[in-house]
Amino acid sequence: MTQENRSGRPQGRPPEGDSRLTRTESQLRGPFLLFFISSVIWLLAASVLGVIAALQQGSLAGGPFRDCEILTYGHVAAAQHNLFVYGWGFNAFFALNLWLLSQLGRFELRNGWLATLGGVFWNLALTYGVVLIFAGNQTGFALLEFPREVGPVLAVAFLLAGFWPIVAFARRPTGHTFASQWFVVAASFAFPLTYLLAQLLILWQPASGVVQAIAHSWFVSNLLHLWFGASALAAIYYFLPKVLGRTISAYYLAPVAFWSFVLFAGWTGPAALIGAPVPLWLQSVGVVAGAMLIIPVIITAINFHGTLSSEGGWSRAWNDTTLRFVTFGAVAFTVFGVLNAIFSFRGYNAVTRFTSFAAGQEQLLTYAFATMVLFGAAYFVLPRLTGSLWPSAKLVHVHFWSTALGAVASIVALLVGGWENGKQLADASVSFQQIAKSTTSWNTVLTVSAVLLLVGHIAFALNAFGMILKSSAPASAGRHD
Amino acid sequence: MKNLNSLLAGIFLAVAFPFGALVVSSQVQLGSLGPAPAEEGGPLFPSREPGLAIQGRAVYVSLGCVSCHTQQVRPAGQGSDIARGYGVRASVARDYVLQKPVLLGERRIGPDLANYGARTKDLAVVHTAIKHGGQFTFLYTGAKQEVASERAVALAAYLQSLRQDYSSPEAKLKK
Ligand code: HEC
Repeated sequence: MTQENRSGRPQGRPPEGDSRLTRTESQLRGPFLLFFISSVIWLLAASVLGVIAALQQGSLAGGPFRDCEILTYGHVAAAQHNLFVYGWGFNAFFALNLWLLSQLGRFELRNGWLATLGGVFWNLALTYGVVLIFAGNQTGFALLEFPREVGPVLAVAFLLAGFWPIVAFARRPTGHTFASQWFVVAASFAFPLTYLLAQLLILWQPASGVVQAIAHSWFVSNLLHLWFGASALAAIYYFLPKVLGRTISAYYLAPVAFWSFVLFAGWTGPAALIGAPVPLWLQSVGVVAGAMLIIPVIITAINFHGTLSSEGGWSRAWNDTTLRFVTFGAVAFTVFGVLNAIFSFRGYNAVTRFTSFAAGQEQLLTYAFATMVLFGAAYFVLPRLTGSLWPSAKLVHVHFWSTALGAVASIVALLVGGWENGKQLADASVSFQQIAKSTTSWNTVLTVSAVLLLVGHIAFALNAFGMILKSSAPASAGRHD
Repeated sequence: MKNLNSLLAGIFLAVAFPFGALVVSSQVQLGSLGPAPAEEGGPLFPSREPGLAIQGRAVYVSLGCVSCHTQQVRPAGQGSDIARGYGVRASVARDYVLQKPVLLGERRIGPDLANYGARTKDLAVVHTAIKHGGQFTFLYTGAKQEVASERAVALAAYLQSLRQDYSSPEAKLKK
C-alpha cells in the first residue's frame, strides 16, 4: 500500500489503515467476535435446515421426514429462512458494519459491553423464536413468523447491538465522509424503524384484512434492500478500492446511487402483490419503483465494474481471496437489479408469480450478493482482529468453489425452474400433477446445491473457528494500549 | 451528506413516506370495509366463520401450510386462475376483512385454496388431501390413520369454509 495517500487522500478511497491491530480494533474485538461466531453458527444451522427443506419439497409425502410433526416443511422452511436472515445476515452485518464505521471514523467503542449485551439478547430471542416455530407457534407472515412477544426483544437488542455505526458516524473526527458510511447509517437507521412499524401493524394492532399483506410486503422489501442491500453495498464500496489500492471510478456518482437506492427501495414492496386483491395503483407504484431501482444499479455497476476494469483489476480480484468473494457479490448485485427491473412488469410477473422465481431473486440478493460479500469481508477483517492467519488455504478453496457453485446452481434452478413452472401454470390444460412431475429435476438440483452450500459453510466455519481458537491466547500480536 | 442530521432526516423520509403512502393510505381506503350485501337487502358476505373453522385456521398457520398454498384468485388475464377452477371471480379486498391473519400466500407449490370449500363437498376427500400422502398423517390416529384428531377435524372445517363464490359490491357474479 502506498504512502502518498496519507495526506490529501483522494475521494473515492478509504483511508489507509495501520497494518497492526489499532486501538479502535482491539476495542471492537469482543463484540465483533461475539457477532461473528454467532453468525457462523446460525449459518450452519440454517444450511442443515436448508438441506432438509429441499429434501421435503422434492417429495409431497414429506421425504425422509414424513409424518414427523416437528420437521414438517412449514416449520423447517420458516426456521431456515429466519435463521439465515436474522441469525446469519444480522449478526454478520452487526459485526461488519461496526468494524467498517469504526475504521472509517476512527471510532473507539468504549461501551462495548452494551453491544455485547445486545448481541446476547438478539441471539437468545432468536433461539426462543425458532424453538417456538418448531413447536408450532408461528404467525404466518414470512420473516415475521416469530410470535409477537419476540419482536420487542429483537428491536431493543437491535438498538443495543446495531446502532453503534450511527454513533461512530456522529463522532467521526473529520468532516469528510465516504460512501460506505452513508449506506451503513441508512441500514442501521431504516431497519429498526421498519421493524417496529411492521410489528405494530401486522402483529400487535393488525390492520384490517389485506392491509396486513400490504404492510408485510413493505416490510420485506425494506428488510432485503435496506438491511442486506445497503450493508453489502457499503462493504463493496470499502473493500474494492481498499484492496486494489485505487479510487472508485466515477465516484462522484456515488451520492446519486445512495439516494436513489434509499428513496426507491421503500416503494418496491407492492410489486410482490401483483394480481392480489389490493388496489391497482399500489401494484403500479411497486412496479415503477422496481424499474426505477435500475438507476442505483447502473451507477453502482459503473462504480464497481469500472474500478475493476482498469489495470488488470479483474485478475487481481480473482487472485485475492477477499476480492474474489466481494467481486462475485458486486456482479450478483448488478444481475439482481437488472432481473428485478425486467421481471416486475406485469406481463412477466403474471408468469413468474407464485413460483420459485421470487425465492430465486431473494437468493440472488441475500446470498450471491450479500453473503458472498460478507465472506470476502471476513477474510479481510478476521486476520487483523485475531492477529493470526487463516489456517488452511485448501479450506478457503473448498469454501469459495462450493458456495459459488451452490449459489449459481440454486439460483438458476429457482429462476429457470420458476419460469418453466409458471409457463405450465399459465396453461390451464396442464394439470397440477403433471406440473409437480416436471419440477422434480429442478428439485434435485436444489437439493444438491443445498448440500454444496452446507459443505462450503462447514469449510468456512472450520477455518474461521480454527483461527479464532489459535489466537485466543491473550498475547495477540500488535496490541498496544 | 456530511451532516448526520440531514442524512438521518433523508433516511427517515425514505422509510416514513412510503409507509404513509402505501400502508396508512390503504388502511384509510380499505380499513372500513366490512361484510356487505351485493344488492340492497341481500345476505351479508363474507359471512362469519364458524368457531371450528377459526380453530382450523390456527392449525393451518401453525403447520405453515401458507408456505405452499395461496388463497387468492387473480383476475382473468393474469395467469390461469379462473380457467383452472380456483375461483369463479377474482378475489377482492372485502373477501378478507374477517380473516385474522390474512393468508394470501406467496408460493403455489400446491393448488390455490381460496375456494377449496366451494369446490370440495366430500369430507373424506378433504381428509385425504390434508394427509398429502404421508406428510401430515401425524394429524390422524388408528391403524390406517383413518381417525381424524381434533386438529384435523378443525382443519377440515376451516378448509371447507374457504369460499369466495358469492357476489359482493366490488365483484358481482353474472346470474
Ligand atoms: C410442501 C408443500 C405443501 C405443504 C407444506 C402443504 N401442502 Fe397442501 N398440497 C401440496 C401439493 C403439491 C398439493 C397437490 C397434490 C396433488 O394434487 O396431488 C397439495 C394439495 C392440497 C389440497 C388439495 C387441493 C385441491 O385443490 O385438491 C389441500 C386441501 C391442501 N393441500 C391443504 C394443505 C394444508 C391444510 C396444509 C397444512 C397442513 C398443506 N396443504 C400443506 C403441497 C403442500
